[in-house]
Amino acid sequence: MTAPDPRPGAPGAPAAPRRMPRFGRVLARCFFIQAAWNYETLMGTGFGAAGEPVLRDLPGGPGGGPYRVALTRETGFFNAHPYLAGLAIGAATRAELDGEDPAKIERLRAALCGPLGSVGDRLFWASWLPACVAVGLLLAALGLRGWAVVALLVLYNAAHVGCRVWALAAGWAQGLHVGSALGAPLLRRAGQVAAPIAAFTVGAMLPVQLGAQLAGAPPAAVLIGVAAAGAVAGLIKLLAPRASGSAVAASVLALVWIAGRLWP
Amino acid sequence: MTGLETLGVVAVGTVCGVDLVSGPQALLSRPLVAAFLGGLVVGAPLPGLAVGALLELFALETLPVGAARYPDWGPPGAAAGALVGASRASASPAGWLAVLLVAIVVAWFGGWLMHQVRRANGADLHARHAAVAAGDPAALRALQRNGLLRDAARAFILATFALTAGDYVSVWFTRGWQAPQALARLAIAGATVGVGLWSASRLFGRGRTAWWFAGGLALGTLVAVIR
Repeated sequence: MTAPDPRPGAPGAPAAPRRMPRFGRVLARCFFIQAAWNYETLMGTGFGAAGEPVLRDLPGGPGGGPYRVALTRETGFFNAHPYLAGLAIGAATRAELDGEDPAKIERLRAALCGPLGSVGDRLFWASWLPACVAVGLLLAALGLRGWAVVALLVLYNAAHVGCRVWALAAGWAQGLHVGSALGAPLLRRAGQVAAPIAAFTVGAMLPVQLGAQLAGAPPAAVLIGVAAAGAVAGLIKLLAPRASGSAVAASVLALVWIAGRLWP
Repeated sequence: MTGLETLGVVAVGTVCGVDLVSGPQALLSRPLVAAFLGGLVVGAPLPGLAVGALLELFALETLPVGAARYPDWGPPGAAAGALVGASRASASPAGWLAVLLVAIVVAWFGGWLMHQVRRANGADLHARHAAVAAGDPAALRALQRNGLLRDAARAFILATFALTAGDYVSVWFTRGWQAPQALARLAIAGATVGVGLWSASRLFGRGRTAWWFAGGLALGTLVAVIR
């Protein structure tokens, strides 16, 4: 009778458990995946640190050979949107516990960088973030005081935290087949509706903000304010990409301050 | 501002700065939130919220994408919120103009400092290369902890600098201002809404979203006129 092969996933070795081991701890570490962000491995250090609690279940436990080899692999170069990185962490650690071919795991990590980055950037940074900020600014302009901040934080983080939890769980559930999770109906639908919502709310917020800033001013002053906003936007468009919008607007403010000092 | 309040504002600014990249990225770093919290610390959350809204229009331009260098609005936002809440000098539109300019400069400086933090994280990784290559979890923990501490130090410097410089500059600006305050108010409105308009048109001014943006503008104009 031969002894069972100690490699995980090999015949006789225990298969990966149905639930991700230490899910809460991994999730908590995912929130700090960019703590050691650097130009060498980008998010790699955070990726390894987040997935480490799962790797403790490899044969030999923490400090064992398979654990150390897997941890080194998971600490290599990685970059993605931080909220969706859990998808790759779940999938890669699942593959490690399943004893998949190391080359396949490395290919998986490399292949996920681009899609997770572009989907997350489009969904969160370019859509959901401006939408929630616009809601906060609208409510502030309409006089809802601190509720504006509460609404901004609750709206945004409901999607943010939900996405982190879903991504980690889906990555673990799918393992090497995690690519299909990127086509999940919820993610697709969210991508379709987030941009129009953001465009509409930001569009509605701008005139309301201008009105709130110039509340009580005579109509002529409001018209001058509208013209000034249009002129600043036009000037930024003219000077972009040589100067950022905030640089141009700050220069305008600085010029106004000089005019205010030299005022006869 | 009392010593305790100053400490509180710097602490809030530090937390908001760390939130931008290191974690948990829960939007505490947005100027609307940071300035509100800064104002809350000095007992004046509403002026904080108002100056945060102005800075937020500038920050709409910032997309915190990957390796790009972008301004950090959290620590200067917290300082600006506290300054307009607590200081008599920054209570006038000319004083607000000064606080805004300081916050913008500090936010850019924050982006440059973040670049330095990332380089230091890389140097730390090089120094621990052997341990990381051997799969030592203690080395990973040290890298994560040191990265967080570096980022916290960066945010602490920014918040302290914004608070100190903002206080002096707003007094200086207000004393030298001779034009009607309405000019400062108009300039702030034009500059903030102008940069917001440009950022929004860059994000949503093409394709299907352009129609949604135009619809929002129309509704917002109606609401502003009715109010």
